Amino acid sequence: MTNDDLRREVNDWLAAHWGGAGSIAQGMWDTNAEMRAWYTKVFEARWSVPSWPVEWFGRNLSDEQTSIVIEAFARVGAPGTGQDRFNLPANTLLALASDALKDALIPGLLKREITTCLLYSEPSAGSDLAGVRTRAERDGDRFIVNGQKVWTSGAATADYGMLIARTDWEVPKHSGLSFFFLPMKQAGVEVRPLRQITGEAHFNEVFFTNAIVPAANLVGGLNQGWRVLQTALAYERSTMGANARKSRHGSADDIIALARAAGRLDDPLLRQDIARVIALRRLNALNNARAKADLEQGTSSSIMSLGKLAMSRILHEEARVRTAIIGVESLLAGETHPTADDVNFLALNAYFTSIGGGTDQIQKNIISERVLGLPKEPELDRNVPFKQVRSG
Amino acid sequence: MAIATTLEERRAIAETVRKLMADENGEKRVRAVMETQDGIDRPLWSRLAEMGIAGLLVPSRFGGAGLGPVELELIAEETGAALACTPFLSSSVLTAGLLVASQDEAACARLLPGIAAGTTIATAALTAERGSWKPEDVAVAAQETDGAAVLTGTASYVTHAGSADVLLVVATTPDGPALFEVAPRNPGITIAALPTFDRTLRLDRITFNRVPATRIGKAGWPAMEAALRLTLVARAGEQAGGARRIFDMTVEYARTRIQFGRPIGGFQAIKHMAAELLLEAESATSAARDAALQLALEEAGAGEAIDLAAFACADAFAKIAATAIQMHGGIAFTWEHPAHLYLRRARAYSYLFGSSDLYRERFLTKISAQPHNVSAAP
Ligand SMILES: Cc1cc2nc3c(=O)[nH]c(=O)nc-3n(C[C@H](O)[C@H](O)[C@H](O)COP(=O)(O)OP(=O)(O)OC[C@H]3O[C@@H](n4cnc5c(N)ncnc54)[C@H](O)[C@@H]3O)c2cc1C
Repeated sequence: MTNDDLRREVNDWLAAHWGGAGSIAQGMWDTNAEMRAWYTKVFEARWSVPSWPVEWFGRNLSDEQTSIVIEAFARVGAPGTGQDRFNLPANTLLALASDALKDALIPGLLKREITTCLLYSEPSAGSDLAGVRTRAERDGDRFIVNGQKVWTSGAATADYGMLIARTDWEVPKHSGLSFFFLPMKQAGVEVRPLRQITGEAHFNEVFFTNAIVPAANLVGGLNQGWRVLQTALAYERSTMGANARKSRHGSADDIIALARAAGRLDDPLLRQDIARVIALRRLNALNNARAKADLEQGTSSSIMSLGKLAMSRILHEEARVRTAIIGVESLLAGETHPTADDVNFLALNAYFTSIGGGTDQIQKNIISERVLGLPKEPELDRNVPFKQVRSG
Repeated sequence: MAIATTLEERRAIAETVRKLMADENGEKRVRAVMETQDGIDRPLWSRLAEMGIAGLLVPSRFGGAGLGPVELELIAEETGAALACTPFLSSSVLTAGLLVASQDEAACARLLPGIAAGTTIATAALTAERGSWKPEDVAVAAQETDGAAVLTGTASYVTHAGSADVLLVVATTPDGPALFEVAPRNPGITIAALPTFDRTLRLDRITFNRVPATRIGKAGWPAMEAALRLTLVARAGEQAGGARRIFDMTVEYARTRIQFGRPIGGFQAIKHMAAELLLEAESATSAARDAALQLALEEAGAGEAIDLAAFACADAFAKIAATAIQMHGGIAFTWEHPAHLYLRRARAYSYLFGSSDLYRERFLTKISAQPHNVSAAP
């Protein structure tokens, strides 16, 4: 199929089916019936994951053709496609799960009938994720889970949790982990919301008391969890390098418009700062485009791993400049002061990207070690049976 | 303009130049040439001319290679990485660019073949003592009577004027800035060499006292701007290339220098600086290449892409070269170590042909004039 044929097909399909966003849920954590209905249509027409194999709900399209589909959807503002690039649980399953588990979960994930959360961090295992202490013990054709997770975004509504748990305490920390898709709606799982610095409560504490996960929901094999986690984290980080949440009232996203509205677009010092932060976004987009072109030409690119770190700087720098633009108004808050509310929200929410998914410091460790080949830090706990490892 | 070469051909050109730089333009050579009077590596310049690089931007009917910004930028990455001491920017980019933009066929036919052959060293005076590279600061005035012009005033920060066989001058006329040619050895001209912080550069201040001049073409400032755009693309390429080279040298040092029984590259303070600089180096390369591409394709966004590259590459190079010294420690504080050569170049290129502040201002002016600007795009 030529690119033009494809463009025509996707545009015709959108013209026939897309009736505008209407009441489809937009938020990162929200779903509703309209949203599920639309995503189901997209799934049935095989637009959800255009680059995936035909036997797994896709069309086997090239990267370039997938971009054509994504652009066509974006042009009319329709969501639901491009999930081969950002749907973290679906991609993780496609890469590493058994066929039965793929069949069981992927369609629901792509139709937004199933939502998930990431059960990784624990009170004593954050950056050092391989140090998790939640245990999963085999009991026939299921595992029994006990322990605690924390900072789990979306846990209150999730149907499944992507769980990293310890299945062997006698071996070093990376070697005794397993990865599961754990059903969240069961008696052994208790979710307690945590209030965030933004005032919202998207993340939670999760307690497991003899929670049950079928052995069939183990991904990547027993004690192979660290490898699965690396795949899932890579997806998470690449999306975090490409996207970030917008402000709540939409009154501060466009920095130039914000400065114009504040009557400060002619302040020469602010102009320099505004140009600097807009440049950061442009440069990130140019880097991403170059990384993509490199990939298409078959050379892997080191730029890929820089996106999340770049986005974290962008968000914090933009927040600083937005605050400078509105000045004293940033003392205010609430619905009656939507601009200040947005600016303050964005300043706080920038930490979502600089802490969540691995902190900036961890990203710099990874870049310097894996891209630049600098030596790893000595690790005191690397080759020690996990039960002897210190925690705190 | 379009892109005349294929990706494969461009890779081959870059590879050839890289090899030439490694063969002929080692650090030793740079150090020797930078202490000479004219600061030009003549053998290297002849090799570049033989390869067609001196006439890279010169149309083939005037004896050049007829290539454009994309090839220019790639080559500049290599010459910039090696800190090559040649009049490439002066002669082959700025002056050749001015002549082509002037659309003065006779002047092109007279001057471009020598520039393309590398036998003529040419330069252009565009700015005055303030070094702003803005049209309003031009401080040479042309007096025209009956088609004959004389120039009076001062120009500064002129590259390689001391060695130039051809000297173009931007001077004000009642219709705005215009381009003139003068004979560099005319008695009314005084060329005073400026002592440069970056010893690989040669800069001069020129005073003109009723110097007879020939008007080149009819074009005004837009032609100067066209030539400056090419120069900025070349500058961005040199900056990206220089930044990458000093960065790579620094990472290599961090892998091999041992302190406390292990490579210093194992210390987080060093690793984190390296990771941050990698982002800077990659961003500079992306910006330089994008500016070249947009200019080659004559995209509507070319102006802002060039502004962006102008300040982003300058700032990245300056930050990388400065941090590299810190990461090396005492060894890089010595004259013998190459780090300061890169820092000097980086600092010089932050102002030569216009400062980062200037281009940030222009960048914002352009994008804020668009009805739907993209500052909020993901
Ligand atoms: C908004 C938000 C949403 C989140 N959502 C989820 C989620 O859905 N699921 C989930 O599992 N987790 C989630 N997290 C948790 C997140 O992944 C962790 O907070 C993060 O990995 C850091 O772990 P920590 O908080 O325990 O900090 P620590 O690991 O204790 O780090 C504390 C400080 O030490 C630094 N540090 C630690 N180790 C090193 C090192 N080796 N080198 C240099 N510096 C180091 C860190 O950079 C940081 O500055 C979320 C976090 C946030 C902020």
